Amino acid sequence: MSATEMTPARFLRSVIAIFLKDWRSELRTRYAISALLMFVVTTIAIILFSLGSEGASADALAGMLWVVIFFGAMSGLSRTFVMEEERGTTLTLQLIAPASAVFFGKLLFNLVLVLGLNIVTVLLYAGFITGFVIRNVPVFLVTILLGSFGFAAAATVIAAIIARANTRGTLYPVLSFPIMLPLLLTVINATRLASEGAFFQEAAGEFQILISYIVVVVVISYMLFEYIWKD
Amino acid sequence: MAIKILLGVLLTGVVIAGFGFPMSAAPQTWYELPVIPGLEDKARIIFFHVPTAWLSVVAFITSMLYAIQYLRKREAIDDIKSSAAAGLGFMFCILATLTGAVWAKFNWGSYWNWDPRETSIFVLLLIYGAYFSLRSAVEVEEKRATLASVYSIIAAVTSPFFIFIMPRIMTGLHPGAKGDPEGAGPVIEFKMSPNMRVIFFTSLIAFTLLFYWMFTLRVRAARLEAHHHSGG
Amino acid sequence: MDFLAQHQLYIVMIIVLAIWLGLYLYLFRLDRRLKKLEERSQK
Repeated sequence: MSATEMTPARFLRSVIAIFLKDWRSELRTRYAISALLMFVVTTIAIILFSLGSEGASADALAGMLWVVIFFGAMSGLSRTFVMEEERGTTLTLQLIAPASAVFFGKLLFNLVLVLGLNIVTVLLYAGFITGFVIRNVPVFLVTILLGSFGFAAAATVIAAIIARANTRGTLYPVLSFPIMLPLLLTVINATRLASEGAFFQEAAGEFQILISYIVVVVVISYMLFEYIWKD
Repeated sequence: MAIKILLGVLLTGVVIAGFGFPMSAAPQTWYELPVIPGLEDKARIIFFHVPTAWLSVVAFITSMLYAIQYLRKREAIDDIKSSAAAGLGFMFCILATLTGAVWAKFNWGSYWNWDPRETSIFVLLLIYGAYFSLRSAVEVEEKRATLASVYSIIAAVTSPFFIFIMPRIMTGLHPGAKGDPEGAGPVIEFKMSPNMRVIFFTSLIAFTLLFYWMFTLRVRAARLEAHHHSGG
Repeated sequence: MDFLAQHQLYIVMIIVLAIWLGLYLYLFRLDRRLKKLEERSQK
């Protein structure tokens, strides 16, 4: 084994190293903990106020949860690439790590970030918005898990694309929405099923779609990442 | 040259036949179209609405194919073609959405209903919009071409999911949605008479030729522009 | 006015035909102008 050979072990270590780099940076700045969480809290508060005493149908509430999650993702998941641009560290990263390691490392980071964010979102949402009832909790949990995976996958590759563009902030949701729409529709449907108390079998179809979506997006992102990343 | 003449003849014929052929409850002659209860004359729009929708998809796929070529060969001409196809696709998509909304108003009462097919054409519109927003946000030509190509591939890969998702989510107004017999296509439901089918397919071919011609024109113009820039 | 109401469809047809023929001629002219520009840049 030569010193420059990229073995699976080395690759995995690169991935973890990149993940840890972003993670530690995150802990230092605490952006996620402060700004992102405040964003989620604010959004849920706004929903609460707009609903007032009337409330909304269970279906509408199921959909709105994912609106909050979507915009939370839009706020937070582009940071991992944009911050490299802002700090001028992109070139360094391009040189010291293989493109695919960067991709998986940042994907892992976004995954952890969005999972954490979504858990908080769900807790706040379920806690404060009356009328949001989940009758089949396992289905709901699987939905959240798979949904977070899906968001992380799509958001990471789009983030890489817009990191070099001019109008990053507004461009991010514009590019992400069409790509994430299949994910959103499926996940809203699954949440609706969970809220109504459907059996696991009924939701299985949605889970299949979610899993194939995740696989497709991750694979295509992996294949295309080199083109996005390298100049 | 022959293609252009053919296109002219065909599409003119389609317009005349599509609008001119009278409708009667019991068609006798070859130029009479059957009356579809509930739709009558408004059914004629199908000769124009479906081809525009069809073209916006064809253009999207064309754009994606050239995008792949660009990433593989890195030749600017492929990105020019990809962008030209997308531009046309965008235009036809807008037309398809508008004609679809008009049809929806006549047929089902309101301009928009979020039925699966309507939503799909809207998503296609969003994809085209996103594509051009991306292109306008990157200044360096090579980077712009690369990122645009990547995005069109990602969009093309994730859109087939709609085919599977949509029917699960809502019953559609469009023929061929949930609740309809399996395998029934959007148009076959119509049960078009033979002469209607001739007009329809001619329209489809004519519009495709139109697209092809406009596409080559755009590519030629872009080529000349690029030539001029680099010192022609 | 009655004539127009009765033959609405044919009015629409004429309009669409006019738009289409206009577009067609425009594209034709564009085609020819491009060809001239291309020949010029060949030289």
